[in-house]
Amino acid sequence: MEIVDFIAAIEEEFEDLNPGDVSPNSVFRDMEGWSSMHALIFVALIDSKYDVLLNGDELKSCVTIKDLFDITFLKINGGGANT
Amino acid sequence: MIDLKGKTILVTGASAGIGAAVAKLCSDLGAKVCITGRNMDRLSEVSKQLSNESEFFQADLTLEKEIDNLVKALPCIDGWVHCAGIIEPFPIKFIQSKHIKSMFTINFDSACLLTSKLMQLKKINSSASFVFISSISAQHPYKGGSLYAASKAALESFSRSIALEFSSKGVRSNCISAALVETEMFEKTKNALSETELLGILSSYPLGIGKPMDVAHASAFLLSNQSSWMTGTNITLDGGLLLNTKK
Repeated sequence: MEIVDFIAAIEEEFEDLNPGDVSPNSVFRDMEGWSSMHALIFVALIDSKYDVLLNGDELKSCVTIKDLFDITFLKINGGGANT
Repeated sequence: MIDLKGKTILVTGASAGIGAAVAKLCSDLGAKVCITGRNMDRLSEVSKQLSNESEFFQADLTLEKEIDNLVKALPCIDGWVHCAGIIEPFPIKFIQSKHIKSMFTINFDSACLLTSKLMQLKKINSSASFVFISSISAQHPYKGGSLYAASKAALESFSRSIALEFSSKGVRSNCISAALVETEMFEKTKNALSETELLGILSSYPLGIGKPMDVAHASAFLLSNQSSWMTGTNITLDGGLLLNTKK
């Protein structure tokens, strides 16, 4: 699991994002038009793509895309992320 | 004054939130209360707060075998408030079979199976009253809540069928469609909301969001003889939220 694939999946999911718009340090809540629906889409995307279900507390603890990736990676492997 | 003396009331999902409030109020109003839930420690805690005779039964209503065991163990009942349920928001585009199953198994299947088995084992006294805790989302859905809303709409439809099918026994069945209530479920949901969104939601309730005891009072009325001419209906508890909803 690589962060570039993770970011590509996010950019593909959100229609108003273009390739290159998102970086590991992007603060996802600062995305234009951010709402709870976007949060749901993140959770659902990670669930369907990586079979990892993030709970509300875990989502709340994340600020950047890299935080999301790291917590997903940890839940898959129980180890450090390969960034 | 609502009086539940002499009645035995089953409350499912009684270990927290609305279920716990219903159990406490029914007990205060004189009923013998049978409470069920998955967590034995929390059930025991709720049980200690009941003022009248009570029994508690650990049961996972997502498992049919545990429903069978629960029904066998229960005494005959005069009323049932079905509070067991989950709320898991999920965008439609990502729905898989497992999401449908997990939502409907507890929110809908458990109500059907428990009703059926209570009837089969003749555990329902004549003139009993069933109350199903539903949601305004069954009629007024929200983004990400498709499965939850659908499961509650199914529950409401099922309740009307009970009202029709068992009317000859004097059994009544009604729903309470609640809007946002301050429960642990709501606390979890809040984590996905921005502060602006949360404030927007809270300000849309003319009377503020509900408390578990608000739902408990409506449940007690539906369980009581004072509502004996009500069946197949739905009481909306929304603090005025829907007054400004566009039709």
